[in-house]
Amino acid sequence: MNARGIVDRIIVLVLVIAGWELCSLYFGTIWFSSPLRVFNRFGAEIRSGDLFFQASYTLRAALYGSLLGGIPAALLPFALRRHPIAGAILDPYFVGGYGAPKLALAPLFILWFGVDLEPKVALVASIVSFLVFFSTTAGVNAVNAQYVSVARVFGASERDIARHIVWPGAIPYAFAGFRVAAPYAIGAAVVGELISSNRGLGFMIQSGATDFDTTLMFVSLVTLTVIVVVVNYLIGRCERWLLRWRPPTQRLTSRVVGT
Amino acid sequence: MNPACPMLEVKGLAKRFPPRSGQALSPWVLADLSFHVAEQEFLTMVGPSGAGKSTLLNIIAQVDGASAGEIFFRGKVIETANGAALQPGWNCQIGYVTQDDNLLPWRTLYENVTLPLKLQGRFDAAGKARVDELLGATNLTGFERYYPHEMSGGMRKRAALIRTLAYDPPIILMDEPFGAVDAQTRTQLQQDLLRLWYRGGKTIVFVTHDIGEAIALGDRVLVLSKSPAKVIAAHKIDIKRPRDLGNVYRLEGFGDMFEAVRRDIQ
Repeated sequence: MNARGIVDRIIVLVLVIAGWELCSLYFGTIWFSSPLRVFNRFGAEIRSGDLFFQASYTLRAALYGSLLGGIPAALLPFALRRHPIAGAILDPYFVGGYGAPKLALAPLFILWFGVDLEPKVALVASIVSFLVFFSTTAGVNAVNAQYVSVARVFGASERDIARHIVWPGAIPYAFAGFRVAAPYAIGAAVVGELISSNRGLGFMIQSGATDFDTTLMFVSLVTLTVIVVVVNYLIGRCERWLLRWRPPTQRLTSRVVGT
Repeated sequence: MNPACPMLEVKGLAKRFPPRSGQALSPWVLADLSFHVAEQEFLTMVGPSGAGKSTLLNIIAQVDGASAGEIFFRGKVIETANGAALQPGWNCQIGYVTQDDNLLPWRTLYENVTLPLKLQGRFDAAGKARVDELLGATNLTGFERYYPHEMSGGMRKRAALIRTLAYDPPIILMDEPFGAVDAQTRTQLQQDLLRLWYRGGKTIVFVTHDIGEAIALGDRVLVLSKSPAKVIAAHKIDIKRPRDLGNVYRLEGFGDMFEAVRRDIQ
């Protein structure tokens, strides 16, 4: 990014904030709060430690859910590769599960697991698992058959092939799955909190709405956006380090903020 | 080891691929193909494109199965068309250098070259020394930490070659290994290959569609027919070694041999 690009980006930011300020002047701060109020409240919430407390609760739900749902989902395609018949039997169920609107499961999870962290973790896991599973499956299926046959000539066992050929080839795909899933994971945690919680950024938005405290709602929304951008950036860094063997033009990474 | 017994013998080999659904039987790719290779011989095979050369090497390497025929390794049957499970590379005795280098893009040059040794549990001091020596012999020393995408076409070909040499299979099959490189790099690669082969101990079956290459490298040239492939002619190459590959057309007897092989191919 050259200097000109950075200046242009700042201009866009200024325009957005100015538009926001105009809206709050025209419609009233009760509906739109105002950039300055949000900024000040943001500082206050950080100083009181409240923002950190709520954000860490949401992040914990998103992280636990992503690991709980994502890791088995990234491993399952390797097992199914060895058992193609089981894979063929299960395939329509996976497709169905992927298509089902998981957010609609939130009330069910709350019934089952109560109002603490568990139902949010379950909701996040149910969303992340399908995204990671399908992405990793695409990677496992895309394995270069020539690499496999050459490795067999070298004396590789099936386990060697899974470990040295299929796994490294599928990592970029698994990562792409996690990258796509990250905003959904945080979104799902927030939805869980909106429905029933006394903690988290979703709870903050909900309580802001009940009190007509739009400033608090905007503070939560801005925080969520920042979190998603930072998480995306971290995954991108991690991915770039892990996939340093790739020629730069071949990277799978979609154009996402922070990469 | 019986000197009268060939290193590798192929008898009556035939191959047709399974028919596609809704179609009659697919045509034969190989039919009644027989030949042998002596210990430490450099055998080259030429044939028109699409003759089934790669299919033949795939079957010998046991990457693919035969429809009929037998293959012997030092007098022992190692493959028949009886449907028994294939053993690719036959216990690491048959090396196979394919058309594409097939270096794993996520492993460095060194990690690629040492992969077979690691898989075979033979990456010991002797293996390491052998790898270092081969890297030196092919001018790859200093590039060990490069990833394949950072290497030139010629470097990748040399890496693929020494990856197989490093684990020391007695016989190596080569399927147009120097296809997609420029003429100068190709000559260099051929020189490297011959130099490594002069050290002895290796039997090579080298398949190409380039008559000049087949004559320049081989002790014997077999000519394959159009599909279904069978051996239609064999020429012993008496050009004395070492051969200057930069000037193959000046080698004594090259022109006549080239003409003879070209006539057979048509």
